[in-house]
Amino acid sequence: MTDNRPDDDILDERIRALTAARYNAPEGSVPRDAMWAQIAAARRAARAATAAEAAAREVDVVPLAPRRRSRAAVAGWSALLAAGLVLGVLLEREVFNEGPEQAVAVVPPRADSGPAAASPETARADGAPGAARRDVVAPPSAPAGRVRDGAPGAPQSYAQAEPRDLPALGDSTVQTFYRTAAVQTLVQAEALLIAYRGAEGTTRDPRALRDAARWARDVLSSTRLLMDSPAGRDPQLRMLFTDLELILAQIVQLSGTPLQANERELIDRAMRDRDLLPRLRSAVPAGLAAS
Amino acid sequence: MDERELTARAKLGDEAAERALYDAHVDRVYWLAYRMSGRHDLAQDLTQDVFIRAFDRIGDYRGDAPFGAWLHAITTSVVLNGLRKVKRFDQREAVLEEAAMVTSPTREAEPDLKDRLAQAIEALPEGCRVTFLLHDVEGFTHEEIGAALGTTAGTSKAQLSRARAKLRIALADFVGEWIQ
Repeated sequence: MTDNRPDDDILDERIRALTAARYNAPEGSVPRDAMWAQIAAARRAARAATAAEAAAREVDVVPLAPRRRSRAAVAGWSALLAAGLVLGVLLEREVFNEGPEQAVAVVPPRADSGPAAASPETARADGAPGAARRDVVAPPSAPAGRVRDGAPGAPQSYAQAEPRDLPALGDSTVQTFYRTAAVQTLVQAEALLIAYRGAEGTTRDPRALRDAARWARDVLSSTRLLMDSPAGRDPQLRMLFTDLELILAQIVQLSGTPLQANERELIDRAMRDRDLLPRLRSAVPAGLAAS
Repeated sequence: MDERELTARAKLGDEAAERALYDAHVDRVYWLAYRMSGRHDLAQDLTQDVFIRAFDRIGDYRGDAPFGAWLHAITTSVVLNGLRKVKRFDQREAVLEEAAMVTSPTREAEPDLKDRLAQAIEALPEGCRVTFLLHDVEGFTHEEIGAALGTTAGTSKAQLSRARAKLRIALADFVGEWIQ
């Protein structure tokens, strides 16, 4: 200001210099590569979302309206994934937790599975429909005759051969299956959250909002199924799934319309408080997220 | 390759051009975020948000001003919004007199000066504090500050004047030595 006293100018300059040197002054180095990795990942996710949106728009222009087919394909893939997870959960319950009688109850025999319909192999086991179903649930690592031989004293099922409190994931195909499913879901979740964060305040297109909501619903469904699977027995993964479920549920609930600032603030704060993105990144093996 | 060409290529989605622009400006953005927040983790998050938003909106950049100026306007907006979100400014609305009351009335050594300076700056109203840091420390013009904060250059000048006056009062204990 022009009405400053000369002393004030000296003081102002001194305070300015002191602030530049002492108040949150630069120290250390800038983590360029680490930040760029996150930026590039977010950019790739945004480009993928843009490309998907553009593809959806192109489909709208074509009079043959394959948009339905596109939606059907998305729904089909989602259903396939969900069915795979449901099957996995059922398999897991049958293999690890349930006794022989419950196993029969979980997967009842087909209506046409009379003695004539049974295969020679299952008929050779003991001829009972329930026993035939147990053939299906026997894990690949189980010896061939483990379930089928029916010898006195022999284990009736894999569940009986193992303690009920198994470790979260065993060294079997089941482990690989669930770990792969978990990683896929976590990668999806990370991409979704990065896209959500990157689109802050910019997305008002109703179609984009609907697509985002549908994406979030798919990931939420997979997350809930995984929580109920052996992957959910891993304490760290379970905690991550639980936090992820909360955030996704918020996004789904608030999606479909442009978010208000306070709604986004709620979601942002929940993500931040739970360190969700860093935990997702550390849970996904290196290289998978980028691919 | 000059910056105009880099921005043109970045508009087309050229990741190498984006990286070149990032390398050219990341230090300034990062240290500005750190200056405003005082936390490296927050500065890192905010810097990432700045560049993600800048590259998302680079189509809006018309090239009639330096890319750095355009980027710094985004930086200021992102940093201030980010800081509000993490509620780093909760105590910043406290009046300067209250800050002076909680500080020691006697002057001791240099470390005390540093603490007093930090307390005085953080006790400034948000607009004054931001304007003071951007103008006097980071070298922004009043026009740039007004554009970044959505106010006018005149408002920026008034806030800077208030900030300086409050700081002079808060740091009055040190005045004698400085004048000499």
